[in-house]
Amino acid sequence: MATASCKSLEDSETARESEEETEIPKDFEPGASSESILISIDLYEEVENSPGSVYEDVSYRRRKSTICELERSAGKRVLAEEQVETSKSFDDKSQDGQLKAEIGHDESIRIKNSPNVEPIRIEMESIQMSSDEEKHEIIETAEDIHNPEWKQHSKHIFILSEAGKPIYSRFGSEDKLVTLMGVMQALVSIVQDNGDVIRSIHAGDHKFVFLVRLPLILVAVANTNASAPQLVVQLNCVYNLILSVLTSTQLCSIFEQRRNYDLRRLLGGAEKFLDNLVDTMDSDPSFLLVAVRCLPLTSAIRDTISQSIVQYCSKVKNVVFAILVAKNQLVTIVRMKKYSLHPSDLHLVMNLVNSSDSFKAAESWTPICLPKFDSSGFLHAHVSYLDDNCPACLLLLTVDKNLFFTLQECRRKIVERLHRYNCLEAINASLESEGYSVSEVGLPDLRHFIYKSKSAAQFTEPRLEAPYVSNEDQSNLFGLYQYLHHRMYNSARPLKILFYVGQKEIMLSWHMAGFELYAAFEPMVTKFTAVNTMNKLVRWIKKEEDRLFIMNAPTI
Amino acid sequence: MKRVDLKIVLLGKEYGGKTSLLERYLYDHFHGDLPYQNTIGAAFGAKKIQLDDKQITMGIWDTAGSERYEAMSKIYYRGAKAAIVCYDLTDSSSFERVKFWVDELKKFEEDCMIYLCGTKKDLVQEDRQCRKIDYHTTTDYADEIGANLFETSSKTGECVRELFTQIAMDFVNKYVPSSKEKNEDLILESPGKKSTFCCSS
Ligand SMILES: Nc1nc2c(ncn2[C@@H]2O[C@H](COP(=O)(O)OP(=O)(O)OP(=O)(O)O)[C@@H](O)[C@H]2O)c(=O)[nH]1
Ligand SMILES: [Mg+2]
Repeated sequence: MATASCKSLEDSETARESEEETEIPKDFEPGASSESILISIDLYEEVENSPGSVYEDVSYRRRKSTICELERSAGKRVLAEEQVETSKSFDDKSQDGQLKAEIGHDESIRIKNSPNVEPIRIEMESIQMSSDEEKHEIIETAEDIHNPEWKQHSKHIFILSEAGKPIYSRFGSEDKLVTLMGVMQALVSIVQDNGDVIRSIHAGDHKFVFLVRLPLILVAVANTNASAPQLVVQLNCVYNLILSVLTSTQLCSIFEQRRNYDLRRLLGGAEKFLDNLVDTMDSDPSFLLVAVRCLPLTSAIRDTISQSIVQYCSKVKNVVFAILVAKNQLVTIVRMKKYSLHPSDLHLVMNLVNSSDSFKAAESWTPICLPKFDSSGFLHAHVSYLDDNCPACLLLLTVDKNLFFTLQECRRKIVERLHRYNCLEAINASLESEGYSVSEVGLPDLRHFIYKSKSAAQFTEPRLEAPYVSNEDQSNLFGLYQYLHHRMYNSARPLKILFYVGQKEIMLSWHMAGFELYAAFEPMVTKFTAVNTMNKLVRWIKKEEDRLFIMNAPTI
Repeated sequence: MKRVDLKIVLLGKEYGGKTSLLERYLYDHFHGDLPYQNTIGAAFGAKKIQLDDKQITMGIWDTAGSERYEAMSKIYYRGAKAAIVCYDLTDSSSFERVKFWVDELKKFEEDCMIYLCGTKKDLVQEDRQCRKIDYHTTTDYADEIGANLFETSSKTGECVRELFTQIAMDFVNKYVPSSKEKNEDLILESPGKKSTFCCSS
């Protein structure tokens, strides 16, 4: 692994020294504005410091529902009808005893005890495993798992029900993984019986990370640079995706009625959302940083776009969010007063748009749940691309399920106005240039960087250029960012600044009150130069912030 | 000239060919080479059609077949004057879903005219073995529920236009007061138990 062969220099001494050199005010934060379109949160502190949140029960959400609140304020009756509809019985035609029977086949489970594999470390919230238990090695089962290709994947994501029934696997068919998932369920429940929660198992280069979100269990198995907390954050995203298609209300009621329900029946067609999400999380810093990438645009153009949306959406009651995205980048959000969007919810919206071409063919009207906004119910989204020649997709989200034709008209007027002010051309031009080159910054030793404004929950990065051209080099770089990120957030020793000498580049990361910055430098750069460069870089970002970030938060 | 809005909904099992059917009708194309893209929620399309002195605007809802949307399907079929319930001629289980949708419509949208539509006919013409749904079973069922029956191919376009034109004509006869004599109206308004077998070969 890269980490073993690299010497990493970092100590609090250097940190203090470098901070003084930078002469950056403590609260400096390019990209920040007085009001933010997105909610800023620190997921990693949540994951690291409050293990209780890892094991949360969805039922708490029933206490209050933002959607109900919105509907009431709009003088509408509560979604009584839908509530009844969703709770109708889900009968499961599949065989109940199937899982037990398969686990009963003892021959198919073998526990390997090879001495040259590192012992597994099982991390739990309070209990330490006793030493004789540590001897259990990687559990292997027959079938799919013996397929070498299946084993080669650097990351697996599994979802199973509390009863151990397979729901999703990124690779291989769930049916063939019944036994494996049974083992995972057993691990969870054994630890649970002791009043504890399993968090991760470490075996050699592999991490097995668990997220128990009853009635679901999510498991990541990876030998990538992603740390256990980062994998937990990924699993959380996957869990939220499930909620976004089903709602927590529906999810819970299904399993309350039938513990053994085969959830795959309801996820038909959603597998590609899951696949797409699981894949992009390995290369897109959005998920790592819990922040959103904005499409670079002049503030004049962006304001025109926002104003066009405000102008027509404000005439329609009940539009909660109007979101314009283009190729995984946010163009703008217009929101109802008092309500903000959580970056994770926006990731799900972008993932939905990205994973399917069907929105391109026709305008759609689809229910979507934004779990951080309100996991108990659906919003309704009018989804349409602006134009055949512009890959920007407009989503108008409302609580009113009868608003389609009103929104259709509203959307027509918006698009008309955007045409009139040449906004589509501006969006296309920005997309075609694929962001900006790091050379625009004018700092010769700098190869690449990722900058996040914490309060805005937005980040920026230049496009990947030489030497990060091949997939392998790009994913190595991302792995380094993951590693830096993990070191910075390490709960035992959070860092302010980290200078890291990698095999092919020098990495520097820097956390201030307002921002996070990670950068890659030429391999021979000195610590002094690198720190100086970072200093100049944040000033450049400050200068460009109007273009790189969404600084206005228009409301309707 | 009168303008009338006609709401039509497409229902049926996922992968059943609803989106292809609608795209053939609206844009006269078929993208068999592109990978299957399941519909999310529902897609909306509109088309104007001229019948005698009447211009009818069809608003057509192409719903997603995934069971996940079942609980919300009312949003899409409420108030529909016609429903095209699709099944895939090469998939026997798709006809089971037809029965589900027909029951649902009979229960909640009594006045909705039902059109059964067997899709992907080109596949069963190419290879008779492919046919998984017996033709007479479907005609018997259509008679039983008082529905029209069509077998279409979105690939060749066979019967697609006929299906939608039939719906428009039935709609006009049923709902739009004719300028002609009254008694003709009465005859047309009586519920037709007859099935139309379009292009049955
Ligand atoms: N050969 C042939 N293939 C067809 C025909 N109609 C649809 N298909 C294919 O069947 C698959 C499913 O078609 P869709 O129209 O997307 O099915 P759908 O009913 O809209 O599916 P959902 O949106 O998931 O409910 C696609 O791969 C189509 O290319 C047809 O008439 N002939
Ligand atoms: Mg479809």
